[in-house]
Amino acid sequence: MNRNLLRALAFAAGALAVSLPAFAGAYPLQVARNVIMYMALALTWDMLLRSGQISFGIAGLFGLGAYATALGVLRAGMGDWLSLAFAPVFAGAAALLIGFLILRLRAMYFSIVTLALAEIFRIVIHNLHDFTGGPEGVVLDGVMLGGSAAALYWLTLGGLAVALGASWWFEKSKFHFALTAIRNNETAARSSGVDIFRWLLATFVITSAIQGLLGGIYVQSYGFATPDSVFDANFTLLPLAIALLGGIHSTIGPVFGAILLGLSSEWLKLRLPYGHLVVYGVIIVVVILFMPQGLYGLARKGLRRAEGRAE
Amino acid sequence: MATKRRTTILVVLGLAAAILVAIWKPTVLIYGVQQAGLYAAIAIPMGLVLGIVHIVNLAHGEFMMIAAYATYFACRATGMDPLIAVLPAAAVTAAFGWVVYKLTIRRALKAPELNQLILTFGLGIMFSQLVNLFFTSQTRKISLDYVSASVTIGETSFGVWQFVFVAVAAAMAYGLKLFLTRTTLGKAALAVGQNPKGAAIVGIDVDRTYGIVFAIAAALVGGMGALFLTRSAIFPAVGSPFTMKSFSLVAMAGIGNIPGILGSAILLGIAESLLRAFRATRGWADIVFFVLIIAVILGRTLKWRKS
Repeated sequence: MNRNLLRALAFAAGALAVSLPAFAGAYPLQVARNVIMYMALALTWDMLLRSGQISFGIAGLFGLGAYATALGVLRAGMGDWLSLAFAPVFAGAAALLIGFLILRLRAMYFSIVTLALAEIFRIVIHNLHDFTGGPEGVVLDGVMLGGSAAALYWLTLGGLAVALGASWWFEKSKFHFALTAIRNNETAARSSGVDIFRWLLATFVITSAIQGLLGGIYVQSYGFATPDSVFDANFTLLPLAIALLGGIHSTIGPVFGAILLGLSSEWLKLRLPYGHLVVYGVIIVVVILFMPQGLYGLARKGLRRAEGRAE
Repeated sequence: MATKRRTTILVVLGLAAAILVAIWKPTVLIYGVQQAGLYAAIAIPMGLVLGIVHIVNLAHGEFMMIAAYATYFACRATGMDPLIAVLPAAAVTAAFGWVVYKLTIRRALKAPELNQLILTFGLGIMFSQLVNLFFTSQTRKISLDYVSASVTIGETSFGVWQFVFVAVAAAMAYGLKLFLTRTTLGKAALAVGQNPKGAAIVGIDVDRTYGIVFAIAAALVGGMGALFLTRSAIFPAVGSPFTMKSFSLVAMAGIGNIPGILGSAILLGIAESLLRAFRATRGWADIVFFVLIIAVILGRTLKWRKS
């Protein structure tokens, strides 16, 4: 397809995203922050999925990062920016340790263990009353950047930029070939000299670090963390539905999925006080059953068919 | 042979631990066993589906939750006792399970295993959120007199009603064993579980068998939903913790080992109740299952690598 057109579109979208605070009010900005947060999480989930591993533990690493930032400020006296940098380091280090143990697991065993790990993190934080504040959580002295809505929006956008950049780098570098080979056939990948464990570990650590960073941004922009708020299962569920709907194994899929689902769920939330998340469950089921490649896959197929007809 | 010896060692260790606990804190043992009955009775249907259809049903707890809600409203409308509703609830959930199988699970059987996992994950969210949508997240409870029946032996007094779960779990395990070894349908199900292609070659309708097994599992967990209502208040998220706990038990027992679920449930039930007995460790009780599941899965993989 026309590369320059795509590049111009991407640039325009980027410019629009950066300049949003100039013309959007407080409420749209808040919605945009949510959409961006889930978009970034969906990208990190998809990056690991490109190797064929499904993680149900996004909320776990997000929460770890959130607590790393909050406790970094409160217990170690870190500055705001230092605490933000500490979140990905901590989550990445945790992922490195965990990865050594669990990345030899495959398929459902890996998925279930990540789900269990997220619960373990939550319970541990819940119970270390003196250090983590227990179920009541911790409250920071204030929100970062003086609480300016525009600045916090840009901070979240910065988090997304990291995720987008990493996802793009994964698509363009050797990661792409390594992960695709592992996903398609591990035996073939190994016999072509792909060191499966090392690639998986690198991917797991990178995606976890980004999830931790996003957790840190979340804490710094709301000023508090409780086990139930930062380990909320929605941080696992929504990114999953977003990436599936948009189209997995791509950067563009989760981006569009997040915009579509984020806006529609916001709209639903205003109409249905309870259970608006049902749409996420329905989308997961429908996508898995009828269009496992997501909207991006459908669009690509449609384009190819249209081009075939034109020739 | 090796597995038999291991089981014996486990049983002996478990018994020794149980006797120690019984002497030291009898109520811990009693409540642990009651809790174990509940866990096992919910986990056994999941073990059946995993053993024969080879699907991890992450919507398992939600089936129980839906049955409990249906029972609740039926009982509210008619003034019926939830105990009487156990069989009708089982029948209704069986039909529901069959429909869910036909509409969704069946279509994903040929897909990669991970698609099935995401599918049932989505189904679980859908069910709990639908209930949330229609009935809000308010907790609901039916108060019953006989539930608080208690017995005093010596200086310890304890509730006895929950022993019903132990009886149900044992009956389920025994009943399923009879079903799988004595009836034609059960034998067919066992064959399909071992080798679907081979079963199809000898003339077993694999799809139908899967559907029936799924419906049976739904019926069992649906009956448990009605029974669960006698014990606890219900809310939309009440089922989901049981999904993970059931999977832990099934994974610990080994896929296809239904009596093993009873054993592992007793071990974990007592461990949990032991942690719950002390103020300092009470909050940690929930972690038992999650640590166990990771330990078991890692242990199994290490063993595979050696052999």
